[in-house]
Amino acid sequence: MSEAEVQKHDVIMIGAGPAALAAAVYTTREDIDTLLFERGVVGGLAAITDMVDNYPGFAEGIEGLTLAQNLQNQAERFGAVIELGEVTKISDEGDYKRLETTSGDMLARAVLIATGSDYKKIGVPGEKEYYARGVHYCATCDGAFYRDKKLVVIGGGNSAIQESIFLTRFASHIDLLVRSSIKASDVLQKELQKYVDDGKITVHLNTATDEIVGSDNVVTKVVGTKEGAKVEFETDGVFIFVGLVPNTQFLAGSDIELDEIGFIKTDKHLMTSMRGVFAAGDVRSGATMQIASAVGEGATAALIIREYLEGKLVPTSEHAEEIITPQPC
Amino acid sequence: MPKNITIFTTNTCAYCAMVKKYLSAKGHTWEEVNLDQNPERQAEALQLSGALTVPVTVVTKQDDSREVIVGYNLAKLAPAVA
Repeated sequence: MSEAEVQKHDVIMIGAGPAALAAAVYTTREDIDTLLFERGVVGGLAAITDMVDNYPGFAEGIEGLTLAQNLQNQAERFGAVIELGEVTKISDEGDYKRLETTSGDMLARAVLIATGSDYKKIGVPGEKEYYARGVHYCATCDGAFYRDKKLVVIGGGNSAIQESIFLTRFASHIDLLVRSSIKASDVLQKELQKYVDDGKITVHLNTATDEIVGSDNVVTKVVGTKEGAKVEFETDGVFIFVGLVPNTQFLAGSDIELDEIGFIKTDKHLMTSMRGVFAAGDVRSGATMQIASAVGEGATAALIIREYLEGKLVPTSEHAEEIITPQPC
Repeated sequence: MPKNITIFTTNTCAYCAMVKKYLSAKGHTWEEVNLDQNPERQAEALQLSGALTVPVTVVTKQDDSREVIVGYNLAKLAPAVA
């Protein structure tokens, strides 16, 4: 590809989850040429969540996949273009940032990184070996394979509880292994109690997972430790929801500063350590990992990017910027 | 261009929607086997893919050779249907 053929855009957004889609609604409505790159699923983790109950505006909750499709439809209605592919590197060329992508090199005046996060692995023996053959991270994708079968779910946060409840549609019984105590919201804990009372879910607190065991390519049990004693849970499959890791592997070796866990550091205007590159949503250091806050950060980032593109966001010191003529929307 | 494409899906699978979105963007048609509606075909999906997951995309080429793509994997799906 010659340099003359390299696509140029005002804004390229890396990721097409709630933060990027919300940002795209705002930038495209301002006629800012916007391209989104998505390597996974449009809507991000929201799209693979069974039910979203805490996103404002939906009194009865909304299915994650439906919410994701609505966000996508809204952004596309205003002209956002979503390309299915991957950005592998970002470099600073002054007024433009160069993105190496699976569709070739591209240039953007501003970049929004909104790549979100993925479910964390627990790193025990058997987890990798039985991946997709008994070990899973997506209940809405793989739960249907466990009709009338026994399951183990590992985790004690909102996702673990929400997805355990979803999996009761299929499974005959679920053992929920929680390393310490349940951290899910009170609402979810009350909902969980109904399934515990019905005998569909058994909660095992203070239970660490040590190994996922199988034979003949099939998972047969989970071995753990509870109060110093070995415990075993016979099962046909395991679903793991033990926290999130940021999708920032593609930034390794770049000039964009990450925190000690790998989330992207930003200033008060959501700008990263590379001028003209912004971050929003779950991938940002300090994010609250909520769809509502990701959408809010996306909208905020879009308005700041507009100021940046118009030359109204000027550096005042290293890593400090001021909007010199704020423009309310 | 493949001879035909079959996708095993479920109702709630977002990655299945992504496979269909990609194939649609490239002008392909496909047969969809929804395992929520046809649970008796789960064993077939498992036998083809070796995995308890969807989407499973089966691409039959013009020479009747077959490629099975497990999950939403553009690096494998794109060349398989090119």
